[in-house]
Amino acid sequence: MTTEARLDGAASTIGRPTPPLNAREKLTGRALYAADFKMPGMLHLKVLRSPHAHARIVSVDTAAARALPGVHAVLCGEDTPDRLTGVHRKQHRILATSKVRFVGEEVVAVAAIDEETARDALDLVRVAYEPLPLVRSMDEALRPGAAEVHENTGNLSIEYNVERGDVDAAFAGAALVHEATYETTPQYPGYLEPMATVAWVDGDGRLVVRTSTQSVFLQRNRYADALGLPVSAVRVIQATVGGAFGGKVVEECNSLICAWMAHRLGRPVSFVNSRLDDFLGARSSPAERITLRMGVDAEGHIIAKEVRILADCGAYEGLATHVLQVSLVRSDNMHRHLRNVRSNGRLAFTNHPPRGAVRGFGGPQAAFALNSHMTEMAQALGIDSVDFMKRNAVRAGDTSVHGFELGSAGLAECFDQVSEAIGWAAKRERPRDRGTKRRGIGFAGAIHVSGNREMGNWDGSIVTARVTADGRVTLSTGESDMGQGAYTMLAQCCASELGIPVSRVTVLPTDTDLSPYGHGSIASRVTILAGNAAIRAGRAIRGRLLALASEVLGVPEGDLTIAGGEIYATSTSPNRRLTFGELSRLHLYRHGGEELRVTATYDPPTFLAMSRPDQYGNVAPGYSFAAQAVEVEVDTETGQVEILATVVSDDCGRALNPLAVHGQTCGAAAMGIGWALYEEMKFEDCRLLNGNLADYTMPTAGSLPHIRSEIVESMEPNGPYGAKGASETAMLPGAAAIANAVHDAVGVRIRELPITPEKILAGLRARASADAAPGASHA
Amino acid sequence: MRDVDYLRPETVAEASALLAELGEGGRLIAGGTALLLALRQRMVAPTHLVSLARVGGLRGITYDPRDGLRIGALTTHSALARSAVVRAHYPVLADMAGRLADPQVRNQGTLGGNLCYADPTTDPPTCLAALDARLVLGSARGDRSLPVTEFLVDYFTTALHPDEILTGIRLPPPRFDLGHHARFHRTAAEHRPLINLTLLARRDGDTVAEARLVVGATTVVPTRVAAAEAFLAGRAVTAAVAREAADIVADAVEPLSDLRGTAAFRRDMLRVMARRSIERLMPPGMEGREVA
Amino acid sequence: MSRIPIEVIVNGVAQRAEVPARRLLADFLRDDLFLTGTKRGCETGVCGACSVLLDGEVVKSCLSLAVQADGHEVTTVEGLAAGEDLHPLQEAFAEHGGFQCGYCTPGMLMAAIAILHETPSPTEAEVRAGLSGNLCRCTGYVGIVESIMAAAEKMRGT
Repeated sequence: MTTEARLDGAASTIGRPTPPLNAREKLTGRALYAADFKMPGMLHLKVLRSPHAHARIVSVDTAAARALPGVHAVLCGEDTPDRLTGVHRKQHRILATSKVRFVGEEVVAVAAIDEETARDALDLVRVAYEPLPLVRSMDEALRPGAAEVHENTGNLSIEYNVERGDVDAAFAGAALVHEATYETTPQYPGYLEPMATVAWVDGDGRLVVRTSTQSVFLQRNRYADALGLPVSAVRVIQATVGGAFGGKVVEECNSLICAWMAHRLGRPVSFVNSRLDDFLGARSSPAERITLRMGVDAEGHIIAKEVRILADCGAYEGLATHVLQVSLVRSDNMHRHLRNVRSNGRLAFTNHPPRGAVRGFGGPQAAFALNSHMTEMAQALGIDSVDFMKRNAVRAGDTSVHGFELGSAGLAECFDQVSEAIGWAAKRERPRDRGTKRRGIGFAGAIHVSGNREMGNWDGSIVTARVTADGRVTLSTGESDMGQGAYTMLAQCCASELGIPVSRVTVLPTDTDLSPYGHGSIASRVTILAGNAAIRAGRAIRGRLLALASEVLGVPEGDLTIAGGEIYATSTSPNRRLTFGELSRLHLYRHGGEELRVTATYDPPTFLAMSRPDQYGNVAPGYSFAAQAVEVEVDTETGQVEILATVVSDDCGRALNPLAVHGQTCGAAAMGIGWALYEEMKFEDCRLLNGNLADYTMPTAGSLPHIRSEIVESMEPNGPYGAKGASETAMLPGAAAIANAVHDAVGVRIRELPITPEKILAGLRARASADAAPGASHA
Repeated sequence: MRDVDYLRPETVAEASALLAELGEGGRLIAGGTALLLALRQRMVAPTHLVSLARVGGLRGITYDPRDGLRIGALTTHSALARSAVVRAHYPVLADMAGRLADPQVRNQGTLGGNLCYADPTTDPPTCLAALDARLVLGSARGDRSLPVTEFLVDYFTTALHPDEILTGIRLPPPRFDLGHHARFHRTAAEHRPLINLTLLARRDGDTVAEARLVVGATTVVPTRVAAAEAFLAGRAVTAAVAREAADIVADAVEPLSDLRGTAAFRRDMLRVMARRSIERLMPPGMEGREVA
Repeated sequence: MSRIPIEVIVNGVAQRAEVPARRLLADFLRDDLFLTGTKRGCETGVCGACSVLLDGEVVKSCLSLAVQADGHEVTTVEGLAAGEDLHPLQEAFAEHGGFQCGYCTPGMLMAAIAILHETPSPTEAEVRAGLSGNLCRCTGYVGIVESIMAAAEKMRGT
């Protein structure tokens, strides 16, 4: 990582390491997160959660809780609006009525003068449940006669079938066909800030919700829908967001319950999840069982692929339907020779806590299976796995099997970078370790979208820019900064068009009343979409400034220089310099004047694939790629895996802000390592047993290696200055790279995440007993 | 956390009298790191917290070559780790304390608090058991002392009488010249040891004159493995000796089995740890080395 | 409910208050003194977002009661900068990618101060060990470790 970054911002331009615009407030403890807000008369909300995974609610007795001094409301499902909400299928009510479907489902909400009183009141609520048969697993869920989580669904949330080309013929003609099944476990998003919201009703009766969110507009629509209000009656303001990782889009229930309670009581209400609450209420990523069957021809080209996925979405489907779709087909678009694909994906309801969007959005599950599988195939073919992955990597100009049009694609270059950095050429030749601790190296690659046309056939972004009377530029967007640096990126784009330092740009917090509409920070869409909008806004402002300066100075626009927040005639001297502030004032204070403000929209040239029955089409303006190399040392006596070195290379098109890109890459890679080695949500009868940070162990500083981050700049033609998304892709390859490295080290193939010491030891024992068996031999 | 009263006695006798009076409702608080976790999750709900902060004589570390080490119960883990006398005479203890949990907990948590909380999955009990620690328990009725192995009774249960307060920890003068406290974390990201093991030895030429081996964290209370100690006594450590001793250790201990690790896995890991600890103590064919 | 009078010096300013016994030090700082920089991220003493300095040593303010700080000195993230001048660690965190969402940052800064107090020229391994009581989900710790190493250099004046 570079050290050129400067806090004053004066030196920052596109491609230079640029500290976040809000560095000072975050570093001095003055950034305000949702839990930091206080309002006059504010009440504190706590919820009682179901202790049962599946049960009928027989009765709720709130009398004692209501009688407790300091308690203002004790409400249950029957008190909530009789409306169901959801992304794909409407099935969720604000609080559970009639039955509960998972341990942790919200049943009763209390509002009291402080948190401890609200907690005290919860202890006094008595709920009688009648347990119902459990749907313990996705296999059980789809068996005939299984109990149903949602009536008349057969526990099948959604089923996808995709078929292209002549799959059977391609398999028949393949030189090698390999089939195997992989399983992934759910991952808790693990943002450091548990969900928090403060909501109130303003003097005109409008509901205002200040919350930790990735998308103020999607949340506004959701609250309005759940409460039966017109969207104009709801205002959502983004507080500083303490990390989100997919968990703060539209599935969490903290903000919805808080909004409803405030609306119902007409008083400000704060709802801050404890971490234990957050574990129970958050959506983790869906568990998936992925069966891959792939065929390659004599040249090592992947020519046939069959994917079957069964996924567990838990008690409510939320965004899990979309997640499954991504797991099912997106990675097919990495293979440049593939034309024959058949996929079947089924999503089952169970009584597990609901699963949904988490960083990578289905990509990590698919990447684990695919890269493990490809490495096994390379071994069977007797070719180097990196060579095999590169041979099949899509290139710029390709149109992939599902219709992705790749304006840029640096996947092969990513593989080159990571294999070079890990020292593959030399290390592949070294003698294999024979001792207790054995080293191995593994690789994996991934694709991710930058944007995804799926909502209302618009995947655009809007940026409003305004020049203040003192010459600053203020930007407004509907997209969210959760710490990834989106606002700094917007400021860089606009500032570079105007020739001013980023320190002269302010990006306003997102607010549905004040910001232009945006889908929000999902699908790695902000850099490519909002970045383009910010460039357009900057150019529009520049045009207005130059036109006005030309008029004032009596000089043709072509003879004007714009630099350092000033405009002056290039050829005449001495000349008058007009500052942005002066021009802003001149723009307004004149007959027919108006504020110097522009709104720019960028909607990419993409296709709404979901409008076609076969879902074919170019959904995103750009596709990011990543590759990772991992060197591990496996202790053959303890089964422990130590990562000695890892390198992640991200094709982000162009690194507008290398500081942010490296930060995203390292963070995503760490999250991938956590998922592969350390994090496991443990359930017994659908009850989460380790829902706290002591027992659900996220990576610590000491449990991670120095993660080396590299950048490939493939210059995306649709991208702002060539940039694409750079936040999720690096999350994808880690698990498979580790699994491949473990296999390289000790010959044990782990196909079920996480990669635990117990599984490795079991694999080593199985190998040892196979070796000991009479007539044993292996390649 | 439920509502609670907070009392600040200034002597052991006063604190003892308060505890006697409050019965089940009273709870001592020292550093508070462990107790606060339980209070906040409402797993315990005392009516009164009795703070030891103002009670004199519960701090400080002194060493005497004949009497050994005296550690005040309110000594924090970081103070123990930094203490010059502890580092000089009980390096295994200083090293254990210096690597315990995390920096914040080492600064806040006290040795006495750790022992009284009697959480099986921590390091000090194992290490102190190996060092033959005796605990001094004070009350309005006077003092008594118990070996740490008798003090720790069960999960979160000690031999303290309701009116008693752990005031200090006493270690006899060191009689082992080699030692090591090992902790096994199942993965590098885990916070609590799955197993720990303290091994101490006195060397006579190439052989082990006397050994002390205690296993903890994977048993409810620290377990001394006398059979392994007897096996090692009088032997030079070779790979074969280490392996055999490790088998004795693994077979002697009945490991816990829970969410964090099955009994079978714990036993396997204990065997590996024990062997590695013994080998580390005296690498085969080499002089044993001092362990800092 | 007993309210207990306490006197605590917070960021150099003497504060007197009467607090209920169950008030956590973290809540006292946040709710009574409006120093909301100190964060709460878990109930199990693991995340470290609530870390503050107590008499110069790093502690977790969610594992302490406010009454336990009686007679002691507390430094929070708000007490690090000298007016407009950021502490070298704060500057380094900005310049080396030491934070993203910022939620773990106040606690990380406190842990970092403790590391450099104990070891002015730490190795990377020592820095990582010194951060064992603090979690970050954004950075993979790379930027944090680099920030602390850079600040150490700056603070040593080399």
